Parts: sequence; C-alpha cells; structure tokens
Amino acid sequence: MEEIMDLQQEEFDQVQYIVIRFGEEVFGIDIKYVDNIVRMQRITRVPNVAPHIKGVLNLRGEVIPVISLRIKMGLPEDEITKTTRIIIIKLESGESIGVLVDEVLEVIMLDHTQIEKVSYNSKESAGGSFLFGVGKDEERDRLISLLDIGATFGEKEGAPV
Amino acid sequence: MDVTQYLEIFLDETKEHLQTLSDQFMILEQEPENMDTINEIFRSAHTLKGMAGTMGYKRMQNLTHDMENVFSEVRNNTIKVDGNMVDLLFQCLDALEEYTENIAASSDEGDNDNEHLIKALNDYLEGKTQASAKEAQPKAEEPEAKEESAEAQDEAAEDPSKEKWTAIKLGSTENTVLTEAVSQGKKVFGVTVYVQESCILKAARAFLVFKAIEELGEIIVSVPSAQDIEDEKFEFDFSMIVITDSDADAVKKAVMNVSEIEAAYVGPIQIEAPKKEAEKQTQKAVAQTAAEGGAKNAPADKKAVGKPIVNRTVRVDIEKLDVLMNLVSELIIAKNSLVSASAQEGMETSGAFNEQIEYLESVTTNLHESVMKVRMVPIENVVQKFPKMIRDLSKQLNKKITLKMSGEETELDRTVVDEIGDPLMHLLRNSADHGLETPDVRVQRGKPEEGTVFLNAYQDGNTVVIEVGDDGNGINVEAVKQKAIERGTITHEQAENMEDKDIVNLLFLPSFSTAKQVTDISGRGVGLDVVKSKIESLSGEVDVKTKLGEGSTFTIRLPLTLAIIQALMVEIGGEKYAISLGSIQTIEDVAKSEVKLVENKEVMNLRGTVVPLIRMNKVLSIESTKSPDENLLVIIVKKGDKLAGLIVDELMGQQEIVIKSLGRYINKSKIISGATILGDGEVALILDTNALI
Repeated sequence: MEEIMDLQQEEFDQVQYIVIRFGEEVFGIDIKYVDNIVRMQRITRVPNVAPHIKGVLNLRGEVIPVISLRIKMGLPEDEITKTTRIIIIKLESGESIGVLVDEVLEVIMLDHTQIEKVSYNSKESAGGSFLFGVGKDEERDRLISLLDIGATFGEKEGAPV
Repeated sequence: MDVTQYLEIFLDETKEHLQTLSDQFMILEQEPENMDTINEIFRSAHTLKGMAGTMGYKRMQNLTHDMENVFSEVRNNTIKVDGNMVDLLFQCLDALEEYTENIAASSDEGDNDNEHLIKALNDYLEGKTQASAKEAQPKAEEPEAKEESAEAQDEAAEDPSKEKWTAIKLGSTENTVLTEAVSQGKKVFGVTVYVQESCILKAARAFLVFKAIEELGEIIVSVPSAQDIEDEKFEFDFSMIVITDSDADAVKKAVMNVSEIEAAYVGPIQIEAPKKEAEKQTQKAVAQTAAEGGAKNAPADKKAVGKPIVNRTVRVDIEKLDVLMNLVSELIIAKNSLVSASAQEGMETSGAFNEQIEYLESVTTNLHESVMKVRMVPIENVVQKFPKMIRDLSKQLNKKITLKMSGEETELDRTVVDEIGDPLMHLLRNSADHGLETPDVRVQRGKPEEGTVFLNAYQDGNTVVIEVGDDGNGINVEAVKQKAIERGTITHEQAENMEDKDIVNLLFLPSFSTAKQVTDISGRGVGLDVVKSKIESLSGEVDVKTKLGEGSTFTIRLPLTLAIIQALMVEIGGEKYAISLGSIQTIEDVAKSEVKLVENKEVMNLRGTVVPLIRMNKVLSIESTKSPDENLLVIIVKKGDKLAGLIVDELMGQQEIVIKSLGRYINKSKIISGATILGDGEVALILDTNALI
C-alpha cells in the first residue's frame, strides 16, 4: 500500500534527492530518509562484526551504527578526507544509521520523467541491487544512481563473521 | 456507545478482580465456610459482572452473573461449598481470564460461551432449588432489577430529601426554555440518579443514563455539569432537569435499565410563570443550594484531606518513566563531561567550582536513585499467580504440593519484573513435575507425603536473588551424564573429568530434558536453556545446587536496575571498554612467569585457585599496546562460582555509566552487551563478562 502511495506521489510531485559522491560515481538519496548530515567524527570500532560496519558514533546522546557503503558495494575502502561526511539515515523501522560518504554535493529535484527504473539485477554500476533507478540530471548532464534505502539497509545484517 | 476510552481501566480493574477471586478461591478451598471470603467473592463477581456489562461483553457478563448467583446462595447458606465447586470456580476463573486476554488482544471477548461452566453453575442453583423448593431462583436479571426499582420507589416515598433535583437552581434562560416547553404541552421533570457505591466506572454509567434520557427528551441542566460527570467529579448521585414527552415512570424506567444504578427519583417541576416570583424562587434556590452546598462541602473537604492517606499512589504510564529515566541518563552524561572537562583542560578550577561539581554529582546520583526507585515494583505482581498454578499442577500430577513463598515484597525494576514471570513459572513447574517424587515414593523414602516447592526472594547488595526449589528427588548427576554422552554433548573422557557441578550445568544447554516422560507440564526440551537465556538477557545469572534425594534449588541473581551501572573503564589496544563493577572480584598485577599453560590454555594460580586467563586483545581482535615482557594486568571476574582473569592493557578508573543499546542493526556481537557515552562524547563499548567465561 505504501509503495503504491509512493508511486502515486512520485507521479505528481518532484522528489528531492541529496546527491553524494563515492569516488567518481554520484548517488542520490531520497531526502525523506535523511535525518542529518554530520562531519566525520570519532567512530568506535565494534569488534567481530561484518567488515562494512565501521563502528558506532554518538549523535546527541544516541549510539548510532556507522556503515561503509563503499565496502558494501565492493568498492575500495573509504579514504577519510576533509570532505568526508556521515549521512544519518532514518529507516522506516525508526532506527538511525550513519553512512560514510566521500562528499555531499547538493540537493536536486527530480520528477518521474527524469527517473529511469532499473531492474534489480542490473550490474551496470557499482551499486548493483542497491538502486531503484537512475536519475537524469540534464542541467549538469550526468546520471545519478538512486539508492533504494529499503533494499540497502532493510535486510538483516552485521552478523558476526 | 464508545467505551474504548474505558478499555484500559476495565482491563486493569478486571485483572485486579480476577486476582482477588483467585486468592479468595484458594482460601475458600481451605476454609469453605469463611464468610469474609464468600462475601469478597460475591462482591468481586458482582463488580466484574457490572463492568463486563457496561463494556458490552455479554459472555463474560453471563458467566460472572451465574457465579454471583451461586455465591448469593452460598451467602444465604442454602448451598455449601465443596471441593467440586472450588474446582468449578477455578475453571470459571480460567474462562474469565481467557475472555480478558481476548479483550486485551483484540478488544473482543471471543465467542466461547463456556456453556458447560454455566450449566454446571446452574446445576448448583437447581440443586439448591430442589432442596428448598419454596422460591424459584431468578434466572435472569429482570426480576432483580424490578425488585431493586420497587425498593427504590419505597425509599423515594420515605425520603424526599433524596430528590436532590429540587435544589437545582435555574437561570433566567433556562426558566424561559422550560416555560416555553410547558406551554407547548411538554413535561418537565427533575431527575436524581444514585449510582451504586460499588460501581467502578461511574462516569460510564452516568454516560449511559444521559444517553437513555436523551432518547426520551432533552436535558436542560445537570448538577454536577456534564463535563464534571464525564471526569468522574461526582460522588454517587447526579441530578438533572429534563424536558420530555414521556411520563415520569418512563423516564425512571429508562434510567433503571442501566445496570448498577441504585435508584432514580423523578418528579415534576413547577415553573413559576411570573418573572419576579421566578427570581425570588431562584434566589431561594441559590440560598438553599449554598446552604446545602456548604453543608455538603464540609464533609467533602474532610474527605479530601483524609483521602491521601488511603490512596497516595499515582498510576503512571511506564513510558513516561522511561522518558524521565532517559533524561536522568542524559544529565549524568552531561555531568560526566563537565567533570572530565574540568579535570583535563587545566582550567582555572577554583575551589568553589569543584565544590559545585561535587554537589552536582551528589544531586545527580540521588536523582538517579530516586527515579530508579520509582521504577521499582514488587515481584508480588508476578508471583501472586503461582499459588493457583501449583494448585492446578498438584491436581494434574496427582501430587500433594505446598508452595511456600517469601519476599514477595522484594522490588525490581519494572522491565525486569515484566520479563521474570515466565522463567520463574517454568522453574516452579520444573520443580513440581521433575523435582518432587510421587506421594508413594516420598512415603517410602520417609519424607512427608506432601512435597514442598518454594520461592524465596531477597535483596543482596546491588542484586536481587530469587531462589526456586523443592524438597524432592534432586538432580541425578549420573543420569544427566549418561544422557549427555548419549547425545554426544560430551565425550566419555570429558565426563570422567567433569565435576558434578559442571554436569548439572549441562541441563542449561538447549534441548536437554532428563524427564523420562514428556508431560505437557514441562519436559518438552525447551526448558532450562530458555530460562537461562531469558535471565541472561536481563543481565542476570542462574545457577543450580542439588543434592540427590534431598532436592534442588535454582538461584537467580538479577541486577537491581538495568539502565545505569558502576563500571570499571579499561583500555585494550588503545580502545576504551567498560566492565560492570558488579562482576569484578579483584584486580591483580601478575608477573609473566606466573602464567602457566594447562591443556595449552593460559591459567594462573590465584591464592590456591586455578583461574583461566583470557587475553582480551585477542578476543577483540586488536593489537595489545603492551610489550610481551611487561607484567600482566588481570581483572578477575566472576560468574556464579566461576572465575576468569581478563588481561587488559590499562586501567582508567571507575565511572557511573549509562547503558545504551547498540541497536538492532548491529547484531550484537556476543561479548558486547551495549555501549555508553563517555564524558568527552566518545562511545565506549561495554564488555559482557558473562559471555566470556
């Protein structure tokens, strides 16, 4: 039901995406999931968990796990630079997760005509099955891979290795 | 009508009444002629009936109605209580509990009519009717209601002062409305309704009365106001002025149709047509009301002063307490940062500043303790259902069992109390089923035929201990050993070297049940391991002591609170970790030469005890910052009787820490029980030493 509503909404409204960068590739995250964007800060390592879980950080008194999408997507490990940010994503379950990104670029508006859905087994980009579509940003003449938050973080993860 | 807003109250009160019934039935079984008990049961059944009726739960109402009928006869001494009857009553109780659970789950009572119970109850009534056939027992409520109304009428005739509506003062607008109504040929009545003093949901009753009357006419004014009545701001009566086409009897009947109404008085109102007189009348009425109000207020005030002594508690939503607890946690974190800031920065820390910091520390500690105490509830709520359970078990198992409980008043954090019920119940069932021998075996062994199962609770320092056990057979260590070998849990050689204590602990492994017969009471193989994991999820521990032929005792230790603990901060490989102070025995400085190898594992000799050593940096997969030649810093932790030495790099000191969850996203790695935020904002993980040993 929710999906249908989302679809309907997309047909009429433009959706805002936060555009982020991993290496050369740009990704978009639906702004409704984004709770906060914070600068890189001290992350406490959690021993014996999956490699893409970088650890936990303290966000205003809450302990929030931080994950590396780069490792999850099979890209080389994150390099922490001045532009590195942690995007705090609020999942539908109410839980928050921090995601390391190389850089936050800007916020763009896309309507449904500018989004091309991709099938789940698409292997064209590094994101693979974490995408639900590709947005065409005519202004800057580039393609933005749109992250499917549900598929990326919804599944159960982080089992001890 | 919309009763959903009362659903919670209804459930709360129903549970209380069911508990009362259960307790009283137990007493009744022992003392079938105890009049106090019988009266108490009658009252509870009656109240339950009324409440179920109000909420529209017809099946529940029918069942309680019949129970009430039976007890009304017991009260009149026309029926005697016997063992069968108590059994039947317990069955009724189970049925009522089922209704309540259904209502709690789906706000619907379900569709089990429990006809056999109702029939059995009615059989008792008929038995009585046969015995003293002179009066037919009313089988429905109507005759009763009529009786009541007849009574009410009598009373009305006797006591006109009960018609409180005469005191209602009418404003000029109301007078106009009434005059107009009368001129239109409508009737104007004053109505005073008395609600039974035992009525629980007064406001709901009043609502029903209002609704009934509004079907007949229009309510012009009510005393107290409709709002006050809705908020239950009235004693047991309320009055109103009604315009209607119906006659007084119809109004009265409509009111009396609502159950739990003691009486209703309806009378015509005289409208003074001339305005001046009306004013005069009004003034008189005002004076009268004032006088009466004054007279009424005096006792009411007294009551208000007296009331707090009886009822000084407040029901608070547990979520509100959680919010409060979280705020206190935040405050403690903030305090910790202040402390560490003042210590680190080399700030110009004046004496006064330090003094204030210390003061702040003591205030936050006290605040934390107070909030913690608010969250504490006695385990009574959980254990009070056990006597009935043991009674049922004793029937089912054909064993004579007494349950001895002590320390029901022992308090634990609310969240712990909510979770502890199932494990305790399981242990008790276990004791009754597996622990206690059958009566003939007991007699053979020279024990009293009646077996004893006990539950003792007491506070021990910062923990609460709950012991559950029996004076039965004890655990047969050999049988456990054989079974473990059979199942391949341990090898023969291992079995040879294991101490009895360790073998008994095998019982806590998943799917390990030694009962020869699988009964539906326990012994389904999902036993003690569930108990153990539940207790451990509450940061507690469970242990068992047993002596063959004399019985066994399971000992559960639980922390008083879960949210904030005293912890020792340590450094391992440059990372900071917290270890709960409660599990730490001592801290040792150990020379490298003292570490010995046993079966290729590092151990040390601690004043005569061999203690296994755990290199924490290996467990946490990180490089130690210490050179291999240095002395080892060993923290001796205990779990039950077992000790282990944790090798860490540095000690950082003791600190009060607030436990935060790591969240569901990180599947808790077993050795980490949570995280905490340090004074400088950094997150430190809390080591679960129980998982390490």
